[in-house]
Amino acid sequence: MRMTEAPGNVRLIGGEMLLWSDADAATDWRGAGLELVRRLVPPGGRVLVAGPHPRGLIGAVSGAASSVAVLVRSYPDACALGERHPALDVHCGRLRALTGVEPYDLVLALDGLERTHSAEEQAPPWRASLQALAALVAPGGRLVLAVPNDLGVDRFVDARPPDREGADGHWEPHGFDPSHPGGPEALDAALEAAGLVAERCYAAYPSRRAPRALFGRELLREDLPEALTVPLTAPGGDTMLVADPLRLTRLAFRHGLGEHLAPLWLTVATRPLSAAVPDAVTTDHAGEPDLTTHHAGEPGLTAHHAGEPHAVAAEEGPDGAGAEESAHEPGAGVAAAEEWPYEAAAEAEGAPSQDAGEAAVVDRAPRDLLPQGLVEVGRAVHEVTATSTRRLPGGTERPIPRGRIVEEVLVEACAREDVRAVRDLLAALAAWVADGGDAPADNLVWDGERFTAITPVPAPGSPAPAPVVLCRILWRFAVRLLAAGHHHPWPWPLDAGQLALTLCGMAGQTCDQDDLDRARKLEAELGQPVGPAELAGAAPTYRDLLSARDRVTEQLTAALARIARLETKLSFRERELVRTRAKLRRSQRKATALRRTLGYRLSRRLSRPRRAARKVLRLLAR
Amino acid sequence: MDESNHWYGHSRILARYCGYPDDVPRRIQGFVQHGWNYLHGYPPNDHWCTPGYPRFIWADVLRRRGWSMGRRGHYLIGAPWIYLLDLEPDLGLMPEEEREGTIWYPFHGWEKNAVIGDHGRLAAHIREVETGPVTVCLYWLEFANIGIRAAYESAGFRVICHGSRGSRWDDAGRDFLRGQLTELRRHRRVASNRLGSALFYGASVGCDIAVYGDPMQFEGERPEYGGTARRMRLWPELHGEHVDRGLAAEAARRELGFEYQATPEELRRMFGWKRVRCA
Repeated sequence: MRMTEAPGNVRLIGGEMLLWSDADAATDWRGAGLELVRRLVPPGGRVLVAGPHPRGLIGAVSGAASSVAVLVRSYPDACALGERHPALDVHCGRLRALTGVEPYDLVLALDGLERTHSAEEQAPPWRASLQALAALVAPGGRLVLAVPNDLGVDRFVDARPPDREGADGHWEPHGFDPSHPGGPEALDAALEAAGLVAERCYAAYPSRRAPRALFGRELLREDLPEALTVPLTAPGGDTMLVADPLRLTRLAFRHGLGEHLAPLWLTVATRPLSAAVPDAVTTDHAGEPDLTTHHAGEPGLTAHHAGEPHAVAAEEGPDGAGAEESAHEPGAGVAAAEEWPYEAAAEAEGAPSQDAGEAAVVDRAPRDLLPQGLVEVGRAVHEVTATSTRRLPGGTERPIPRGRIVEEVLVEACAREDVRAVRDLLAALAAWVADGGDAPADNLVWDGERFTAITPVPAPGSPAPAPVVLCRILWRFAVRLLAAGHHHPWPWPLDAGQLALTLCGMAGQTCDQDDLDRARKLEAELGQPVGPAELAGAAPTYRDLLSARDRVTEQLTAALARIARLETKLSFRERELVRTRAKLRRSQRKATALRRTLGYRLSRRLSRPRRAARKVLRLLAR
Repeated sequence: MDESNHWYGHSRILARYCGYPDDVPRRIQGFVQHGWNYLHGYPPNDHWCTPGYPRFIWADVLRRRGWSMGRRGHYLIGAPWIYLLDLEPDLGLMPEEEREGTIWYPFHGWEKNAVIGDHGRLAAHIREVETGPVTVCLYWLEFANIGIRAAYESAGFRVICHGSRGSRWDDAGRDFLRGQLTELRRHRRVASNRLGSALFYGASVGCDIAVYGDPMQFEGERPEYGGTARRMRLWPELHGEHVDRGLAAEAARRELGFEYQATPEELRRMFGWKRVRCA
């Protein structure tokens, strides 16, 4: 039976869910989340990862800290984790049943608190879960907690909010918990009530399921350059969106609501050293006595493991394996590096973050340990401030170009049918490309004088001639423009290729079909997804569908009108042709009849000698 | 596409600008605005402008007005005149000091609607105002009317005609605008009794402009335009016997869409003159 197959480092604490897995539901943290965690892991310290987390994150943490415990409610998940990382302490069960452990120097709950309770108990209010989690943080230790925002931009554009789907995970409906924080201030207050001090609160974008960027509160208060928001397009996955949240995100930033409308908050809080040391063993949620009845449901398991110190479980694992694991995981081979592209960076970053981590254990961390912001661009993580970015690890600081994103400028000009602005900008773009510039319009900033690529574009295998580069940029823009259903002034060339060639023409560059074919090939080689519609397996958004339908209706109306017109013209021309041919036939008949007349034949005969004489004269004259 | 694309040799000028020979007019896939207009670039009953074909217009205000009136598919390329100026920077060019006199364009009717008014009185008015030699340019219909011609000739004016505006099937309108350009570059002033294309054309080649005299009655005057009163309200600064040269030049730039001149390649593609490979 399953229970006997559990690896030795898995401890059942009560409330574990036997036929359940959160492995696919966990918040999909990648580079940015990993980078933050990596900086916070205290070497030699004790770390607790509470709730389901992506594999890469657990791998990175277990590689960096000396003692790592994981708390998951799913039994299969716990077994899988225990097998993969023999050095981990895996606690399987509900959060509030995790008692009798020493507090931790770092508690990570990057998946929030929603998946820390279990179907075996009545779901505790959010605040009760926070209390329980906070109790596990040692004085001077840290808690990193994710809190989904019910008013996040991604909620606005969700066509089918998952909360209302009634999926298996929603035995407790979401959205009715009054203790769930309703804003960053409420979150701070809740942390304070739990005896923690918020150090920095990040707004995570672009979606709560797959956060790819973290912006500190202080950063969001500044006037951020538009270029920063470029990587924030949400991958739709199989969820249906009403619209791409990017535009909404930009609006939220412009209105100073970047923090309030973040899909997810990620807060880093510390328990002050001076505060009374919470006794993890005795703190047993005195606040909610009504819940104790539910504990009765699984006393056997709790009792079974109660006497088993977690440390033993760790020691029981194969001795070498733990060390090997921790040494091996971050520097994974090629295959692993592909699966978790940010792992490689962990190794290089190791030394500086360790220094910083030690400081964190000793005292409150210096502020610069916590980055102002982290943004993932493709596979790279960048640390951002209001004015600069730095590619991690070890990149040099680059100023963020000020100005507007070229694609947005063009989309605006198209919406205004301002072909002059389009011509001027494209002419400038063509000049820039002729000087060797190359970046797609959605990755390019124009400040009125200069173009600057936001993220460097991977160089193609062989350098392409300028017309092909321009063609590629404009083709990509044309595809995206048409796919997004934006209004534009070109009624005639309706397909992206013809539109791209027209745009080239507007830039003063004559490109032909061959250039376009080469440009497409080049684009395919570079392999950047062209638009929201082409993002891996994404469903089109509801607004895209609506506008696509409207566009098709319009095109159909226009096409029908054109057919009607052409039919009329055709009938007219046919009539003309028939009339002309009849006229021609009549004249031919008349001519034939004329030739047969006696007078005509006589005059031909008579004129024959004269014509012969003229011919001779002409020959003589030569 | 439509007959009006070929009037005044517009399609030929655009073809030459795009690098094609202009001996045979090319079919433009769309509707080129054929004269200055203060509605939406086309006559009020523009049902012949089939949706789905672009409307190639001169100025942005026409697009906005057209949009508000339910028209779509505007595409700004400016007036064919600006392409002619691009092609003919030197045609009929004279030193500034040798330009003299006034070329006067009395408001004209067209093939289907005539203009009713007293040409004799207008000629007398012109004689009063103009100090230099006067050339009166009549539309071919009025030029053919001996009475009207006599009204101006008797006042001692030189009377000319740029010819008929032509059609798809004849060469008549081929040199209409070239002739007009040559005449405008000879004169110092251009005047009319109604604001119109000729005045803006003149202002664009350095003529002073003037609008005065009886605006006359047009048989088929459409109320949508708002009449002479609206022209006076919209362009008070361009009416009068003497008009500020700078203001006139600025208005001409705007109304003829000098800033919207398209590249030849763009026009080739927009007009459907480029052979497109079918998928």
